[in-house]
Amino acid sequence: MSLAVAMKAVFAREITLFARRKSDWANPLMFFLIVCSLFPFAVGSESEKLKLIGIGAVFVGALLAAMLALPRLFDEDAKDGSLEHLLTSPEPLAALILARVAAISLAIALPLALATPVFSLFYALPTDVALMLALSVLLAVPTLILVGAIASALLVSARGGAILTAVLVLPLTIPTLIFGAGAALKVLFGESPAAEIALQTAYFLFALALCPVAAAAALRISTD
Amino acid sequence: MARTEQQSNERSKARSNRASNPSPSIPLPEGEGSVEPTFTSVNVGNARAERFSGRWFWRFASPAAFYPLAGTIEKLCWFVAIALTIIGLYIGFFRAPTDATQGEVYRVIYIHVPAAWMAMVIYLAMAFWSALGLAFGTRLSFMMSHALAPTGAMMAAISLWTGALWGRPTWGTYWVWDARLTSTLILFFLYIGYIALAAAFDDKKKGDRASALIALVGAVNVPIIYFSVQWWNTLHQGASVRPGGSSMASTMLTAMMVMTFAFWAYCVAVAMHRVRTQIIERERDAKWLAGVKQ
Repeated sequence: MSLAVAMKAVFAREITLFARRKSDWANPLMFFLIVCSLFPFAVGSESEKLKLIGIGAVFVGALLAAMLALPRLFDEDAKDGSLEHLLTSPEPLAALILARVAAISLAIALPLALATPVFSLFYALPTDVALMLALSVLLAVPTLILVGAIASALLVSARGGAILTAVLVLPLTIPTLIFGAGAALKVLFGESPAAEIALQTAYFLFALALCPVAAAAALRISTD
Repeated sequence: MARTEQQSNERSKARSNRASNPSPSIPLPEGEGSVEPTFTSVNVGNARAERFSGRWFWRFASPAAFYPLAGTIEKLCWFVAIALTIIGLYIGFFRAPTDATQGEVYRVIYIHVPAAWMAMVIYLAMAFWSALGLAFGTRLSFMMSHALAPTGAMMAAISLWTGALWGRPTWGTYWVWDARLTSTLILFFLYIGYIALAAAFDDKKKGDRASALIALVGAVNVPIIYFSVQWWNTLHQGASVRPGGSSMASTMLTAMMVMTFAFWAYCVAVAMHRVRTQIIERERDAKWLAGVKQ
C-alpha cells in the first residue's frame, strides 16, 4: 500500500514541476518544430520528395527532441539533493524510477505526439499516415525515456554527460525507429501496419520490464 | 591469511570480503623482504571462499597472480598469431584459386571475415567479464573487459572498412544498407559508447561498474537490433547481394580458418598486453609489483 502511495507521490511531484515550469516540456516541442522545418530547406520543396523523407524526418526529430528531456530525469535532482531522498527511501528504487519515468513520458511524449500530425503537414503526408506516425511517436518516446533512464542514471556524476547520453541511448532506439517509421510507411503504401505496431509495442514492453531495474542499479553505481 | 594485493584503507571492508581472491596461496614475489600485508582481510574464510579456495582458477582472479600468467599467454599468442598469419596469408594469396565470379578482389575475405567474427565474439567476451565483475566484484574482470573493448572496436572498424573496399568493385558502391553491414556498424557504436563511458569517470571503480552495466544492456539488445535490422532490410529493399553464397573451395576455407585462428590469437595477445598495462597502472602502489621485474 505504501509503495503505491510513494509512487503516486513521485508521479505527482514530477507532474507538478512540469505544470509550474512549462519550458521543460515546451522547449523540446519548439526544438521538434524547428528540426521538422529544417529538412525541406536541405532537400527541396517538391511535395513528392518531401512525402518520402517526411516520415523519417518527423520521427527522428521527435526522438531527438525527447533526448533533450533526459537531463530532466536525474541531473537536477542530483544537484539540489532531492535524489538522495529517492535513494534513501525504503520503497524499491526501481518502482520509484518507474513512476518518475511515467510522469516524464506523459509530459514529453504526449505533446510531441499531439504535434506530430500538425508538423507532418510540412511534408504533405496524408492524414492516416500522420495519425499512424503520432501513435508511433507515442510509443517510441517512452521507450527512449526508459532506455535513457539507464544512461542518465549512470552519468549523473560523470563528465560530459549530455553528449555521452546521446551516444549510449540513440543506438538502442534503432529497433523502435525501424518499427515506428515502418508502420507509417506501411500505411503510406496502403498496407496493414499491424505487425510493426505489435513489434514496437513488444520492444516498449520489454524496455518497461527491464529498464527501471537496470536504471535503479545504475543509480546505485553512480551515486555510490 | 595473507593478501598480496594492495590493501588500502579506503576500500571498505565489505568490499574486500567479497573481493577477488579468497585463496591464501599466492606466490609472493620475493622482493625487498618485507611483504607484510598492510591489511589482513578478515572473514574471507567464509563458506563460499573455502569451497572455492581449492580451485586453482580462483587464484588468478588476483591481479598479482594473473600478471605473470598474462605475460606467458601474451608471448605464446603473439607467436601463434604471427606464425598463423604468415601461413594463412600465404595460402590465401598464393595457393587459393581465383574466384570464378569475383576475381582477385574476393581475397579480402581473409581479413574481412575473421575481423567481423572477432568483433562479435569480443563483445560477448566483454559482456561475460562485465557480468562476472558485477556479480563477484572482481577487479580483474573489469580490467579484462576494458582490455578487450578497443580491440573489439578496431575489429568492427576493420570489417566495415575492408567490406567497403570489397563492396566498391563488387557491388559498385562503398556502402550498402545491408543487414550485416548495418548491425556491424551498430556494434561499433556500442563499443564506442562503452569506451567513452568507461573514460567518463574520475573514480575508476565507478567507471568499471557503470561500463559493465552498459555492456550488459548492449548485450541484451544486440540480438534485438540484429533481427530488427534484418526485418527493416527486407522491408525496404529486395534481398541484397550476398557474398559467396555457393560453397567455397577447400583451400579458401582453409586459409580463412587459419586466418581466423590468427586473429583470435592476436586479440588474446593484445588483450593480455593491455590488461598487464592496466594492472601496472592501477596497482602501481602495490608492494607485489615492486618485486616484479619489468
